[in-house]
Amino acid sequence: MFLNHFEYFAPKTPAETLELVACLGSKAKILAGGTDLMVVMKAKAISPDYLIDINGVEEFKGIFCEQGKGAVIGTNTKLAEIQFSEAIQAKYPALAYAAGEVGSSQVRQMASLGGNSCNASPAAETPTPLVAMDAKVVLSSILGERELPLEEFILGVRVLDLAEGEMLTKFVLPEPKLKSACRYAYMGRRDAMEIDCVNMAVTIELEDDGEKVKNIKLVMGSVYPRPLVSKEVTALLVGQKLSDQLIEKAAEAAQGEAKPIDDIRASAEYRREIVKVLARRLIKEAYTDAKGV
Amino acid sequence: MEKKVLKSKWNLTPEGWNLEGVPSSQDEKRYTQVGRSVPRIDGPIKVKGEAIYTGDMTLPGMVYGKIKRSTYAHAIIKKIDCCKALKLPGVLAVLTGDEAPNKWGIVPQAANETVLAVGKVRFYGEGVAAVAALDEETAEAALELIEVEYEPLPVLLDPFQSMERSQEVLIHEDSKGNIMHAGEQVYGDVDKAFAECEYVLEREFHTNYPQHGFLEPHSALASYDTQNGQLHLWASSQIPHYLHRQMSIVLEIPMNKIRVTLPTIGGGFGGKGEAAPSEFVACLLSRKVGRPVKVVYDRQEVFYTNKGRHPCHMKVKMGLDKDGYIQAVDFDNTLDKGAYSGWGIVVLFYTASMIHLPYKVPNARFRGRSVYTNKPSTGAMRGLGGVQPRWALECLMDEMAEMMGISPYELKLKNAIESGHTCINNMFVPHSEFKKCLETAVKKSGFLEKQGKLPFGKGIGMAGGYYITGTAYTLYQNYKPHTTVMIRVDTEGGVTLLCAAAEIGQGCNTVMAQMVAEELGIQYEDVHVQSGDTEIGAFDLGSFASRLTYAAGAAIKMACVEINQSLKETAAGMLGVRADQLVIKNHEIYSMYEIKKRISWEKAIEVYTSINGTLVGMGNFSPPRRKGIDIISGNRVQGANIGHSPTFGFSSQVHEVEVDVETGRIYVKKVTEAGDCGTPVNPMCVDGQVEGSIMFNIGACLYEDQKLDASGKHLNPNFHDYKTPTTMEMPEMDTNIVESYDHSAPFGVKETGEGAVQPTFPALTNAIYDAIGVRFYTLPITPEMVLKALKDKKEGEL
Ligand SMILES: Cc1cc2nc3c(=O)[nH]c(=O)nc-3n(C[C@H](O)[C@H](O)[C@H](O)COP(=O)(O)OP(=O)(O)OC[C@H]3O[C@@H](n4cnc5c(N)ncnc54)[C@H](O)[C@@H]3O)c2cc1C
Repeated sequence: MFLNHFEYFAPKTPAETLELVACLGSKAKILAGGTDLMVVMKAKAISPDYLIDINGVEEFKGIFCEQGKGAVIGTNTKLAEIQFSEAIQAKYPALAYAAGEVGSSQVRQMASLGGNSCNASPAAETPTPLVAMDAKVVLSSILGERELPLEEFILGVRVLDLAEGEMLTKFVLPEPKLKSACRYAYMGRRDAMEIDCVNMAVTIELEDDGEKVKNIKLVMGSVYPRPLVSKEVTALLVGQKLSDQLIEKAAEAAQGEAKPIDDIRASAEYRREIVKVLARRLIKEAYTDAKGV
Repeated sequence: MEKKVLKSKWNLTPEGWNLEGVPSSQDEKRYTQVGRSVPRIDGPIKVKGEAIYTGDMTLPGMVYGKIKRSTYAHAIIKKIDCCKALKLPGVLAVLTGDEAPNKWGIVPQAANETVLAVGKVRFYGEGVAAVAALDEETAEAALELIEVEYEPLPVLLDPFQSMERSQEVLIHEDSKGNIMHAGEQVYGDVDKAFAECEYVLEREFHTNYPQHGFLEPHSALASYDTQNGQLHLWASSQIPHYLHRQMSIVLEIPMNKIRVTLPTIGGGFGGKGEAAPSEFVACLLSRKVGRPVKVVYDRQEVFYTNKGRHPCHMKVKMGLDKDGYIQAVDFDNTLDKGAYSGWGIVVLFYTASMIHLPYKVPNARFRGRSVYTNKPSTGAMRGLGGVQPRWALECLMDEMAEMMGISPYELKLKNAIESGHTCINNMFVPHSEFKKCLETAVKKSGFLEKQGKLPFGKGIGMAGGYYITGTAYTLYQNYKPHTTVMIRVDTEGGVTLLCAAAEIGQGCNTVMAQMVAEELGIQYEDVHVQSGDTEIGAFDLGSFASRLTYAAGAAIKMACVEINQSLKETAAGMLGVRADQLVIKNHEIYSMYEIKKRISWEKAIEVYTSINGTLVGMGNFSPPRRKGIDIISGNRVQGANIGHSPTFGFSSQVHEVEVDVETGRIYVKKVTEAGDCGTPVNPMCVDGQVEGSIMFNIGACLYEDQKLDASGKHLNPNFHDYKTPTTMEMPEMDTNIVESYDHSAPFGVKETGEGAVQPTFPALTNAIYDAIGVRFYTLPITPEMVLKALKDKKEGEL
């Protein structure tokens, strides 16, 4: 129940932060909202020697969303801010929705977008839509920056492609394509404070005819150690005009790809069943919305 | 002289309480304080976060206690080595079970718990040792240094397995067959009645293992004065008296050396209705180190030691004659007791008495057994003993109505009891508006227009229920009054009610203030309430069995008789009229015939106290004793006392659900409830209790279940994995208080805190059946179960 003894740093600038990250290496942990970190520390799952509190660094916060230029979101932007941002709601409704489904209101006031990805929990809400919309993460160190698709950043349960001395600083979201839509859905026992038993996001982009699928990306959460991008759904549906039959086939394909586990929240069998239901519903919904644009 | 006054008080009949000449029920305008939705006395400080809970308290020199918990569900303790822990700087003392071996338990005949395990552990997480240290961190570190050697024993987690393997392993040496208690109650000729029935149906039902989910964990702060041997315990408890009594047994010090005080309590729902090891450990450690010791559980410890609802494995059989009148009920119940007895015998026989109401049952048979398993003990949980059988019976009746081709409403209304009903087991119901509850809920929800007619996936279901209002005897079989209150009136302190009632969040302090104000003819804001203290207040059994409003109401009425009489006599002298012609109302004392003859209530107090000093009234409540006694023979009858109560509350609910037939998720859309709580002393509090009750059991019906792995380790000992519904899952609620007045009850009151939990399981289960055509006999009804059932159904239809 008690935290181990650690040294606490509260840098004020990105440069100071990166300096600390470089010096302290894997003995340090970044403290953003702390809604995950404090829990695992109290459970003695980890006992870092140093905490680097990034809440004093303004540059790590904020949403920059310009017409035609996608969006950049600072790592320490609170989920509540994303949930209620009009710009995000308009351009990336699936992200605003997913952010609003994390934990409770109190948690979302504290929790950051970066923390939600860096926590690398398979059940996390926001990585799923972020991957579906081809978001990239920017990883910074005193040596410079590199950009990586989010799906390559999260490697497994609590495993990241994050080198010693590096930290996540921002998310870069591409501008949604014309005639496209991204939608998010989840299944859990309750509608707040819920760790999803399955979540999913689908982005569909249509050809100029507004009928044929030019591109589709279906991403599943909570059924694999990391966000799982369906290959088969893309293979099946690209170039097609969608029908109920085809959608059903795609949903079954997604179901076949999912590798869920049994745990206290749900059985693997049930999760697979839900993958099919969500896939069917989401593909339909995203298809309709893409056509409507 | 003194004796005479007392004697006349004891002879009061309920009707005689109203000395003003008009029975209260005939004068609707009589109540000015009772029946008002006044704000809760404890509301503002709680909303502002200023209420002081045990965990908030510190005393000079206070240290911290923590408990080391077993990592086996069933094992012999070979050795406990505390040497290393004692050497840790900051550790003041350690405690092991053999230092306090006296058994405690709320039902003395079956008390079998010790403060910490002695010789053997019987569930995962049971306390094996405790430490006191200067700070919590050191205490926690010290626990790690205590070395315990175990010899594991077979772990029995299922009651049937436990009975089966009892030759091989006993959980308690003195409980043969691993059965805590078994019992049978037969009334009438059940087999003959079944033989003559037109419709007979038998089903098996299995309930789950939920726990209370109160917010404030068990907390205790004890201060033992080594100079004078006085012990003061602040604790988060529903039962200061029973705690007081058991503390005396365990510590072997007289009760008059112990004082129990309740700070603000953050909920109980039955889970604080027994003493807790935290309380004993705090007291024992404080005595050992001579400093105040605080013990506050974390959530995991609450789960490990919780005394949640008994899983029940029930076989229920019911027979109806050709017109649908119930002729017989046969009920067999196997209860999962967990590791220790606690409330066990009471719960066993409560389930037995639940078959006798709220429908007329002329022949009834009960066979039951409560079986030990290596799990956290089960105990009292809101609606104790009622929820499980109610679920089974109301679902069974729904099915039987279908068999007969009539509406379940018709079947239930036809069999519903009315005022003045005596059950075959001698339970007496002085007053019932149950039929009105059924009618109101059905009419307001449009049940008859909807049932069986909604599209697939949507459904509506109904159920009735009842619960006791009070209890028949003290658990240690002494027929002393169950509640005593003292009301003090003077010019300095105004009016103060002193009692030991436990305000656990249910609102009893507010309701008691309203009742005192009503009786004394003043405003509820004028009444100070000092409750929850065994030294300041007089005797009270505690907050359980939905007893407080009734019991405190009766005692308050009696205490006020004395006060009003003294004031009337004082005023009579001042006004020159007869005392028995005076009325006290709205801070005034006036003649009911010459309304100009009046003085202010405060003036009368001033005059009275100038002559006599402070005015004090004492009042008592004893439940009527004929319950459970055969009136003709005078003998105790089977089922005596348990389940009997002075009066009963009733409720009926209609639930409307939508089932997502693809994901299996059940959405409760609307609940229409109608309750007979007698006079609602505070209608707002009643609504809160009823809405809370419904949500409480929607949780246990659809969401909540404690899970253990094969070794008995708790898999979801936190609110992260043990899922209760949130406000997002709260349905639209239409709760209705039906017009009701129980003449036998003080102010006409009954219960409201536990009756409304009773119909929730069956109304929901019946609604799910209406939605998807599947009847469930196991709880909780999860999305996975729904999907599987739908799949099975589809395959069955092919
Ligand atoms: C009551 C409760 C309910 C919750 N419900 C949900 C839920 O429904 N869904 C869900 O997904 N999560 C949930 N969580 C978990 C948590 O709130 C989220 O994952 C949240 O987004 C984490 O963000 P944070 O800012 O609090 O992260 P922190 O706890 O501060 O950090 C999490 C981890 O990421 C690391 N980290 C943070 N920022 C960076 C960075 N910029 N670079 C490198 N590493 C970094 C930290 O060192 C730490 O290891 C819940 C937590 C609680 C307490």
